[in-house]
Amino acid sequence: MKKTPLYALMALIAVVSLIPFYILLFTALTPSSVSLADSRLLLRHVEWSNLSHAWRESRLGDAMINSLIIMAGSVVLSVIVSAGAGYVFARVATWYNRFFFAVLLFSMMIPGIINTVPLYSLMKSIHGINTHWAMILLLAAGFVPQSVFLYTNFIRSMSRDIEESAVIDGCTPFGAFWRISFPLLAPITSTMVILNAVNAWNNYSQSVFFLQSQDRQTVPLAISRFVQTYGADYTQMAAAALIGMLPAVAIYFAFQRYFVKGISAGAVKG
Amino acid sequence: MIRIARRLHERLHLFMAVPALLLFAVFFVVPLVRGINISLTDWTGLTPSYHYVGLRNFAEFFRDARAVHALRVTLIFGLISPLLLCALGLLYALLLDNRLRGRGFVRTFVYMPAIISPLIMGYVWLLLLNSENGALLQLLTMLHLESWYRDWLGSPGQALWVVIAVNLWQFVGYAMIIFLAGLQGISAEVIEAAKIDGAGYGKTVRHIIVPLLLPAIRINVVTNLIGSLAVFDVISALTDGGPGYATESMSLFIMRTSFNGHTGYATAVAIVMFAVILIPVSVALQLMRKADYDR
Repeated sequence: MKKTPLYALMALIAVVSLIPFYILLFTALTPSSVSLADSRLLLRHVEWSNLSHAWRESRLGDAMINSLIIMAGSVVLSVIVSAGAGYVFARVATWYNRFFFAVLLFSMMIPGIINTVPLYSLMKSIHGINTHWAMILLLAAGFVPQSVFLYTNFIRSMSRDIEESAVIDGCTPFGAFWRISFPLLAPITSTMVILNAVNAWNNYSQSVFFLQSQDRQTVPLAISRFVQTYGADYTQMAAAALIGMLPAVAIYFAFQRYFVKGISAGAVKG
Repeated sequence: MIRIARRLHERLHLFMAVPALLLFAVFFVVPLVRGINISLTDWTGLTPSYHYVGLRNFAEFFRDARAVHALRVTLIFGLISPLLLCALGLLYALLLDNRLRGRGFVRTFVYMPAIISPLIMGYVWLLLLNSENGALLQLLTMLHLESWYRDWLGSPGQALWVVIAVNLWQFVGYAMIIFLAGLQGISAEVIEAAKIDGAGYGKTVRHIIVPLLLPAIRINVVTNLIGSLAVFDVISALTDGGPGYATESMSLFIMRTSFNGHTGYATAVAIVMFAVILIPVSVALQLMRKADYDR
């Protein structure tokens, strides 16, 4: 009995969280001639062709492939280089390692956006504008500080025994890390993969400058182009936004546990 | 030769930090240094030549009403958002920490927007709020209450508050998850003991739970400060800095001026923004570290 007001509050929170998604779904799937009032707020006339039309118009298929390439590249690269760096910072306590670790930690406080202007001239001089590889390097570099931080903390909490016995058995320390310890980092690696993948998939503030050609546009760019080029065609925009967010939502529902673990790991350690 | 190769092979692991540091140096340190250099010039970004003008760009900033306004927008958004996110996130977490049926689903729904691009979420809110055929306008019209509708996004005084509200809606789940993880770490016995000592719910929250959540509060305040002071996506989607320049933050201002032939000046503004972010973040870190020791 005492819990009734709590349930009411919880229902209110759920509704507030979901209403925008319902409006999105409604706008995306209803013919543009039918308004919310006409159909008494309910999704009555489903027009699937809205989706296929938006898909073609904004070239979402190409955009998904671009997003996928950039996401996969930057995630794999950032995980590999950060795991290696995390190992050195956790295990080899020299003054320069401590210094570099402190620099990376400090840089976490600086948002990438303030570097955009000089980065643009750098990207131009290395012919990296409108290329996948330069965007992958750029994003991976942005993920390095946080990833190194989480890896270093995790490796510090691991015992050295296994690595040492592998070295005694004739492995080099380098081999011991990649063959023996790296697989043991799976919990933190899965967290890193998910956090960096979401950030790469959603990146707009950098890709908007470095991926200007339509052949290289990522999903957020494709949708924004839709809004800007075609004026306020809300039906088409909603259809494109719905398709564009589906992969992220699907991944979220599939790996929800890891998301929560990942965020709380940062929280507890921070 | 072979000996050198073998020694190198044995010490290979010592160089494992090099790729990460190299990436970081090329795409972060080099642009930062270059940016400081550009900020002292009158470079237009279009021609290869430029002249050093000393600190003139920085002086220009304080005379430029639009730039100072962007600073104000950044500070209002960047300082208020973390506070609201923390407060509402804590309330959500306290509620959804109760044993309620279906709380797992509600947590999932609340957190879902946080994984979607702020740009897309901004466009979705445009569907609700726009003054042409937005869902809110249609709903009010349906109920014959259209006189209640205001074009908040189109009004210079209110647009920024709409942006703050949308950002709050999107990221409250992130704050909530961090608080929920913190609440997991508080043993039931401590709460029970407070109850036995006669503390009501409000007192328990204020004197027991909030102090024990300090690490979670710190991570929430610091990450949200950094993110909010650099806000770009959600403003781009909702107002694109408008109406006029009413909601133009420093990040938007920098982008626009840099590609308008004022690269030197824009870079100087970026360095001002760097300071604007660093000061509140280090103050917050300092304050909370102190609070940590006081316990």
